Amino acid sequence: MKYLARRLVHATLLLAAVSLFSFAILQLAPGDFFAPMGLNPQISSRTIAGLRSQYGLDRSFPVRYGHWLHDALKGNLGASFAYNSPVAPLLAVRARNTLLLTGTAMLLAWLIAIPLGMWSAVYRGKWGDRAGAVVTSGLLTVPDLVLFLVLLLVAVRTGWFPTGGMVSAVFGDLNVWNRVKDIAEHLFLPALGLAIATLPPLLRHVRSAMIEVLEAPFIRAARAHGITERRVLFRYALPVAANPLISLFGLSVATMLSTSLLVEVILSWPGIGPLLVDAILAKDVYVVIGTVMLSSVFLVLGSLFADLLLFAADPRMRVE
Amino acid sequence: MVADGVPGHAGGRLVVALRSEPKTLNPVLAVDEPSRDVIRCLTADLIHINRGSLKTEPSLAKSWTVSRDGRQYTLHLRRGLRFSDGEAFNADDVIFSFQVYLDEKINSSQRDLLVVGGKPIVVVKLDAYTVRFELAQPYAAAERLFDGVAILPRHLVESSYQSGSFSQSWSLSVPPNQFAGLGPFRLKEYIPGQRVVLERNPYYWKADTAGNQLPYLNEIVFLFVASEDAQVIRFQSGDTDVLSRFSAENFAVLQKQQSEKGYRLDDLGPGLEYNFLFFNLNDLSPKGLPEIAKKQAWFQDLRFRQAVSTAIDRDGIVRLVYSGRATPIWDQVTPGNKLWLDDKIPRPVRSLEHARQLLQSAGFSWKSSTLVDPHGEPVEFSILTSSSNAQRMKMATIIQDDLSQLGMTVQVVPLEFHAMVDRLQNSYNYEAAVMGLVSGDADPTSEMNVWLSSGETHLWHPNQDKPATQWESEMDQLMQEQLVTLDYAKRKRIYDRVQEIVAEDLPVICLVSPDILVGAANRMRNFRPAILVPYTLWNVEQLYIQ
Repeated sequence: MKYLARRLVHATLLLAAVSLFSFAILQLAPGDFFAPMGLNPQISSRTIAGLRSQYGLDRSFPVRYGHWLHDALKGNLGASFAYNSPVAPLLAVRARNTLLLTGTAMLLAWLIAIPLGMWSAVYRGKWGDRAGAVVTSGLLTVPDLVLFLVLLLVAVRTGWFPTGGMVSAVFGDLNVWNRVKDIAEHLFLPALGLAIATLPPLLRHVRSAMIEVLEAPFIRAARAHGITERRVLFRYALPVAANPLISLFGLSVATMLSTSLLVEVILSWPGIGPLLVDAILAKDVYVVIGTVMLSSVFLVLGSLFADLLLFAADPRMRVE
Repeated sequence: MVADGVPGHAGGRLVVALRSEPKTLNPVLAVDEPSRDVIRCLTADLIHINRGSLKTEPSLAKSWTVSRDGRQYTLHLRRGLRFSDGEAFNADDVIFSFQVYLDEKINSSQRDLLVVGGKPIVVVKLDAYTVRFELAQPYAAAERLFDGVAILPRHLVESSYQSGSFSQSWSLSVPPNQFAGLGPFRLKEYIPGQRVVLERNPYYWKADTAGNQLPYLNEIVFLFVASEDAQVIRFQSGDTDVLSRFSAENFAVLQKQQSEKGYRLDDLGPGLEYNFLFFNLNDLSPKGLPEIAKKQAWFQDLRFRQAVSTAIDRDGIVRLVYSGRATPIWDQVTPGNKLWLDDKIPRPVRSLEHARQLLQSAGFSWKSSTLVDPHGEPVEFSILTSSSNAQRMKMATIIQDDLSQLGMTVQVVPLEFHAMVDRLQNSYNYEAAVMGLVSGDADPTSEMNVWLSSGETHLWHPNQDKPATQWESEMDQLMQEQLVTLDYAKRKRIYDRVQEIVAEDLPVICLVSPDILVGAANRMRNFRPAILVPYTLWNVEQLYIQ
């Protein structure tokens, strides 16, 4: 309990620091949301000044940050200049979609990484393991952008998958079962892309963690007792190897989130990615800060979850 | 009203990809292109610019008369029209709409267009279907002011306007029954991050030549596809029906599969965008930038600017940056703008020899192969461009190479767009820049602020109290004169002279105007793309599917 309380305090401080930092960085960059209007011969500087004061951009940095913090504590993350509307509802629907995508991709990645990693640990040095090493290093070197564009091309050329979006145009007319099917069809490609992009490091880590455990004396002892190989692997080796993997799970949340921004933009998944890119390019600051805060919350929750999992899985952690 | 396209047949759905999600459906506040693209399908204006002819035509106003002094416009509205929710339209809606656009508290970006001679237009209701607009001074392009000023349904938005919450109204999440317009389509559904769907407006007031009510299409679906490449791929796969705003490289890629994939591509020739290089001619004494101020001695010398202009390989830019899909230009009016182009402007060929002579006559000389000024300082400067515009970065690089052949050392500095605007308009901390402007209209009045020395977008030296040079003073007079001259031929002569000044005195060194490239599925009919935004969907009510 005490541990959890400490973590919560940490998380709050972290979020406060993240918000101040992103505010400051956005402030440092020259030009604001309304600056490009200055190049439009048909808009006067008076109108632009009016817009600036309407959105409080004419006030000083500490005042603006203070206001934002005050409102944020009450759950109001400020207003988007572009959308003329509060940030929180804009984020909420998109965050749900991003969670669906990253959650599915995460599940997919680990479902592939664990058995495959174990398999190559058991057959380490054999041709299968080597081929696996070649493929994973190959995947590591391919930029994510290229990977996603290739997936998009595959979808276009074969016509097997929808080429973007989350639901098809006829979604409204479908029954519940077909709606789920429709979303799943749209989800498949981006989730697969995201899983492939994050898979290689996971696979390598599972493999090396397993190798380390398989060389331990207690495994040899277990084998000497005549315990079946399958039981040795899953009952004895895997739980011991799980420790570093659980920590890695916490970290992979971060990778997932940042990679998902790209996949969302390329494959038109309606998550927070396209919103963030748009907002950064336009300097719609409260949307950027809101998105950054949301990602930080996901990140904190991810690592907290991993720590709790570790807590449950490893008795040694509980003693501390 | 009867539309002039080929009679088609009703039905079908058009799918269009937007580069980003529209931000609002509120026509008074929308500034971004995607929002405006959607809003144009939902609303109508009083007098409209026909994108095909670039001339004005009746819209909600079926006719109008102009007072002898050119200061009063009396518009006669069509009778019996209904908004897309079935409510009747009359002069009260017009009066209300202009009240909102002109309200200073609303900060509409369209307000400035409706301020003529420093005074807002006065709108007077004469009867339920007649409205008079009073201008502080005669205004040559007055009819064109009405284009794009969408008429609002007073019955739906007046309460939010009165209560001061107008800025928040008609966001994308507005329930479709709370939104209405006089455009060919009305709002059906918005799914955040994914699509906006519009449906046929059953009350729309235009008909085709056979007497069928328009529009033909049942639905328009706007998808949000963030990257140009992804847009091209989805158009190629038949996912979307229309494509515009894409590069010449992608045009070439698409062209290869044109026949087998069932779409056609159009190169409409030069649009209204002109790209140019300009030097910092601001008065820098209050800004304290001595390094740049020293170099201004070169920039202010006309012979220096002429030498740079003569040395730039415009054909090279056309070939290398736009794969041939652009046109070299020597002044701000592009060959696409046939109403205002002055074809007597000389188009000198590139000549390094001539450039060297010009530099020599201005006292420059060469040390080994480096160009030095009369004080012996090597000629070195930087060119800013926006890092988000690949074409302009390439342009700057070509200019860098061209000028190195004169012995000048040029650095290309790509900057994030906001940072670049900040330098051009606030700190004046730059030496030269490559930029482009897209005229909002074919008419010169849309460019007043660029050419007036007091203008805020008089880029090389904005906001002057009194014109810094003789030619700027002449340009001021000409621009003011054309503004109040009602006769087209006379205006044309005046604006021709402005073009001459730009070509002779080179405040901006015009480079190229890119072609407008569009694509459409073969099954789409009545598709008549134009060089003025919106390039493709301006006659959306007449589009039909074969």
